[in-house]
Amino acid sequence: MTGLIILATFIAVIVVAFATVIQKKLPDTIILFMGVGLGAVVLFFVFQAPDVALTEAVIGAGISSLIFLIALKQFKEVV
Amino acid sequence: MNLKRDVSTRTYSGFALSALLVLTILNVLLQNVPEKVERAGEKLLTLNAQEGVANAVTTVVVFFRGFDTLGEIAVLFIAALGIGLMLSSYSIKEHKEESNFILQKASKLLFPIIVLFGVYVMIYGHLSPGGGFQGGVIIASGVLLLLISDQNFEVPHSIISTLETFAGISYVLIGLIGLLVIDNFLGNFLPHDISEMGMLLSGGIIPLVYIVVGIKVGSEMSLIVQHMIKRSDDD
Amino acid sequence: MIETFLTYLNQDSTITAIVNICSMTLFFIGLFGLLTHRHILRIFISISIMEIAIFLFFIGNTFNKAFTAPLLGDGHTEFIAMNDPIPHAMILTAIVIGMAVFALGVSFAIEYYKLTGKTDINDMNEMGEL
Repeated sequence: MTGLIILATFIAVIVVAFATVIQKKLPDTIILFMGVGLGAVVLFFVFQAPDVALTEAVIGAGISSLIFLIALKQFKEVV
Repeated sequence: MNLKRDVSTRTYSGFALSALLVLTILNVLLQNVPEKVERAGEKLLTLNAQEGVANAVTTVVVFFRGFDTLGEIAVLFIAALGIGLMLSSYSIKEHKEESNFILQKASKLLFPIIVLFGVYVMIYGHLSPGGGFQGGVIIASGVLLLLISDQNFEVPHSIISTLETFAGISYVLIGLIGLLVIDNFLGNFLPHDISEMGMLLSGGIIPLVYIVVGIKVGSEMSLIVQHMIKRSDDD
Repeated sequence: MIETFLTYLNQDSTITAIVNICSMTLFFIGLFGLLTHRHILRIFISISIMEIAIFLFFIGNTFNKAFTAPLLGDGHTEFIAMNDPIPHAMILTAIVIGMAVFALGVSFAIEYYKLTGKTDINDMNEMGEL
């Protein structure tokens, strides 16, 4: 059962990461990058590492993506 | 897709073949690990029982490898210094547009809850997953919520930077006191009984150091976020 | 049929192979994005995807299915049969430093855009034509 969960989550993360790389607009890219971070949080939870999962959720999908989004306002490229 | 030039199929196939080669070699090398390797983790887990802390990762980050955490705080400090130098010209903007009604009212309701959650994660770092870094960044994201919903809100610069300075100084001071008392820089000089594992006041200096780290990281990230929002765009 | 497939997927060697292959595939997707984009902010996002792949590779290779998380919780009172806490601590440090470098790079990009108005890396040739 563990192997099936790991395989399914990895395939989802790879598909979302490929969609991140081929986007055309910049806000879509960062929102899909948050999806990659979320998949990584689920994987860290299955790998029995709760500290790393909490850190990746707060920093990767939290403050890092939000800093990018408020920096997009300076580039005049908001949706 | 805005590529640099027309990527030919030769590049794509070369890329895929090199990726396949690296994966095969890596897989073969990693399958042949001998069975019983002497790992340092098992030794540290048995040593951890003498510190009286329930979370082994907190002990490793703060106590067994506390010098690495000092270096990590130095790296964060240099990054905040660089961002403060780069984006340091901001002016008071006139009142351009108000944010949404829901955002205004809900952010004033949510901000104390977010700060309370961040302080909880910071203080209970040695009993459950969490710690200083996670709690500090949660507090900074609460400050970010207030900054984007209210045009006239400013983080009080002098108070927050004084707090950050004191937190940074007290980390090194705790280490020096350990050097004076028990001849170990960042040694554990407060009483840490094993019988108190699971209580809030246990583990000696470990919760103290993590709270100091959390205060420093939280105030730094708040200042970084404020610099990015308030950068004036009349240039 | 499904039982044998699930049992095959639960073996230790299969889990190691899945983790290695998939995390390296993620790394190469990030590398592909790094090499073929021109906007400077997309390059930073591709570097972050590569960092996430390395974290998954690291923790996936020190993962033992029979052991549990390295902290005392409901029912556990001894520190035996737990996963390794040292890689977790190293990855924690690496995540925080990755965020700091990302924020610094984004602030450099903002300041350069305010100064000259360019975001295309082929146009940034103040130090001479390459």
